[in-house]
Amino acid sequence: MNTREFFRLLMQVHGAMARRRFASLRQESWLMVGVIALFVAGYWVTAYFLFRWGFRFLGHTYGLGPVLIDRMLYLFFAFLFVMLAFSNMIIGYSAFFKSQETQWMLTLPVPQADVFRWKLVETALLASWAFVFLSAPLMLAYGVSRHVAPWFYAKVLLLLLPFAIIPAALGSLLILLVTCYLDRRVFKWAVFGFGTVLIAAVSVVLKPVEADRLQSGQTLVLLGELLHNSRASLQPLLPSYWVASGVIAWGNGLAWQGSFFFLVLASNALMAMLVCVNTSTRLFYTGWSRNHSQDGFTAVPSARDAGFGDARVSLLDRLFDCLPRIHPATRALMVKDIRAFWRDTSQWSQFVIFFGLLGLYVLNLRNVAYVWSSEFWATFVSFLNLGASTMTLATLTTRFVFPQFSLEGKRLWVVGMVPYGLKRVVLEKFWLSSFGSVVITLSLTLISSWMLHVPAWLTLLFSATGVMISFGLCGIAVGVGALFPNFGSGSTANRRDDNPAKIVSGFGGTFCFVTSLAYLILAIGAEALPFYLQSTGMAFTPEQYSWAIVGSWIFVSGISLAAICVPMTLALRRVETLEM
Amino acid sequence: MIHTEHLTKRFGTLTAVNDLNLRIAPGEFFAFLGPNAAGKTTTIKLLTGLLKPTSGRALIGGHDIQADPIAARKLISYVPDLPFLYDKLEPMEFMQLVGQLYGMQRQEVLRTGEKLFDVFDLTETRGQLIETLSHGTRQRVVIASALLHDPKVIIIDEPMVGLDPRSARVVKDVLKARSQAGTTVFLSTHILHIAEELADRIGILNRGRLIAAGTMNELREASGGGGALEDAFLALTSEQPQEQAAAGPA
Repeated sequence: MNTREFFRLLMQVHGAMARRRFASLRQESWLMVGVIALFVAGYWVTAYFLFRWGFRFLGHTYGLGPVLIDRMLYLFFAFLFVMLAFSNMIIGYSAFFKSQETQWMLTLPVPQADVFRWKLVETALLASWAFVFLSAPLMLAYGVSRHVAPWFYAKVLLLLLPFAIIPAALGSLLILLVTCYLDRRVFKWAVFGFGTVLIAAVSVVLKPVEADRLQSGQTLVLLGELLHNSRASLQPLLPSYWVASGVIAWGNGLAWQGSFFFLVLASNALMAMLVCVNTSTRLFYTGWSRNHSQDGFTAVPSARDAGFGDARVSLLDRLFDCLPRIHPATRALMVKDIRAFWRDTSQWSQFVIFFGLLGLYVLNLRNVAYVWSSEFWATFVSFLNLGASTMTLATLTTRFVFPQFSLEGKRLWVVGMVPYGLKRVVLEKFWLSSFGSVVITLSLTLISSWMLHVPAWLTLLFSATGVMISFGLCGIAVGVGALFPNFGSGSTANRRDDNPAKIVSGFGGTFCFVTSLAYLILAIGAEALPFYLQSTGMAFTPEQYSWAIVGSWIFVSGISLAAICVPMTLALRRVETLEM
Repeated sequence: MIHTEHLTKRFGTLTAVNDLNLRIAPGEFFAFLGPNAAGKTTTIKLLTGLLKPTSGRALIGGHDIQADPIAARKLISYVPDLPFLYDKLEPMEFMQLVGQLYGMQRQEVLRTGEKLFDVFDLTETRGQLIETLSHGTRQRVVIASALLHDPKVIIIDEPMVGLDPRSARVVKDVLKARSQAGTTVFLSTHILHIAEELADRIGILNRGRLIAAGTMNELREASGGGGALEDAFLALTSEQPQEQAAAGPA
């Protein structure tokens, strides 16, 4: 069987399965499908108008408008390129080495290179679809601001295809090399080391803007510095430079120049694929065998490893023993969850990426440290900060907390049959995830408030809100996770959905994310309202202003309580009657 | 048909399969036994080419599984203990896919598939998605699909788990019949009476080493007693030195 026939067969099969999945939407609640569709449309419309407003704002910067807009596109695509490469690495690891389908394909009489090629396509599609989804409103807003012809959008789509291929080839090649030549434990520490060095480097490179300079009216100088500091995105050997240059050229009606960058991208994408596929012929099978040999090795630890493991176990156990008034069953479940999380490379590597981004964000706050001189800007940036932190937290809770109950799937016979019942399992997951989330949110809020010189009372307000939102988001994630569990299909013995990413991508995961975002918009919007009204000139007496803040905070407390209690109560009722 | 030469697999300091030398003839029904973590699944993964050996080699029908994997895999059907299936396909659609991946024509798959549907009592599953089938039925779909292209070698890991007595009987009868018709069957199991009932020869693996291989009578003699396979198995596996550990991925 040649490559074309192999691909044709698999495309037929996956096409049929996709049609069935789509058809099965009819069995879902129309209300929920409608809510999700509304959310998607809402994102596109909101993002479009925000980008449109942003382009108009930048366009009005005297003398620098087009330069700033162009630079924003260069930065956007540079950032996207890095994210796509990371995304391809993470998804590629699961697709190449952890998928049951890959194992099955490797026993078929088809070349291993064809199996790799198929998995490469699958990885690239999975990693890149969201990128098209997210960048569509940006491209639309850019096109409208440039008054382009309709076929500009078709040409941009054509440009994005080779752009998505390059990080797919690069990410896949990197993960093959890492799997072939780096031990898993070395890799784990290498990621931590790399992350630490990166954050340290960024903290050295990014210098805060001095308040004196801003106040002295040197705006043009500062803009010059901004352009100078972001010049790395103009490196002409970067694929992001080619795609941004192509978009800008076509946006300005420079057809030949745009086509030139398309051809540069296309030729490099083809070359990247050629290198990736040819190298993989040797590396893929070696990596597969090595990866599965490591599974065997770690499954039966040596005497030395066992000793190390014992020491670690006792440390974790000792730590939990110090916590008073925790039921032994809850404590055992918590220790199990922490241990399982730590040992699952694919879980914590994504966690590290989230934290890396948050770390960079917080470090970057130093660049707006000048805002402390203006109460309005300090408050405004603090709200943006609270929004960004809690939005990231919503992503974290959906990605890591929501699948927790489903992941118990095959173990439900253990945790479900103990004399304490599944209620305790659900509550344990709520408390453990809430505690972790509070630590994250509180640290971020305190650090960023300190960096922004936010007044103490506002820091306290933000911290209290952060804590409430952490509990609220965990309530939604745990509750919806138990209400819409994804145990996989078939009988108990066949429940094979052990991949948290796959569990999240289902209906329940989407519903959880949409609900979390709706809750956040409501909570942060309500809390920001008094500040917004005051800043827009509404005549508040100091007493009225204080009462408005207290009122908004009571409202946030109320909806947070609802976010915890409603899904958790429904979930606790549901697990009482859950058929395992 | 299956031939291993000094086949060895190490996971770090652990030797999962240690200098395994096997020679299984065409049409032979070979049962592969061993305690937990003896290295049975690792051996199967080496025979099917899912793992690279540390040293030695495995040949299927004269083809080295590492050097010439496609030629070797054309002869094999492998049924793992936890087989993969596309949940959103119907059983016949899955069989169509498997058949065509082995180079069969659509009509040929349909014809052979219908026969296997009858044999494995899968007729009632028509029109149902695999995700709705019970474990036992899924297992029957997998075994039927494995027989579709008339393989020369069937490598099967714990095939009876989850099967009801009638289905288990069907599977045993089909495997035995295939073996008598010239197909080599390599069956790994913990269920000793199945090995005793079906196998021409039995191999016992313990801590990565093949400690015994032969007919039922030869194993009885080797264990120094009479009685059932269970007695011989326990006698043989309890006499092994303890200094060497062996294990493999499940």
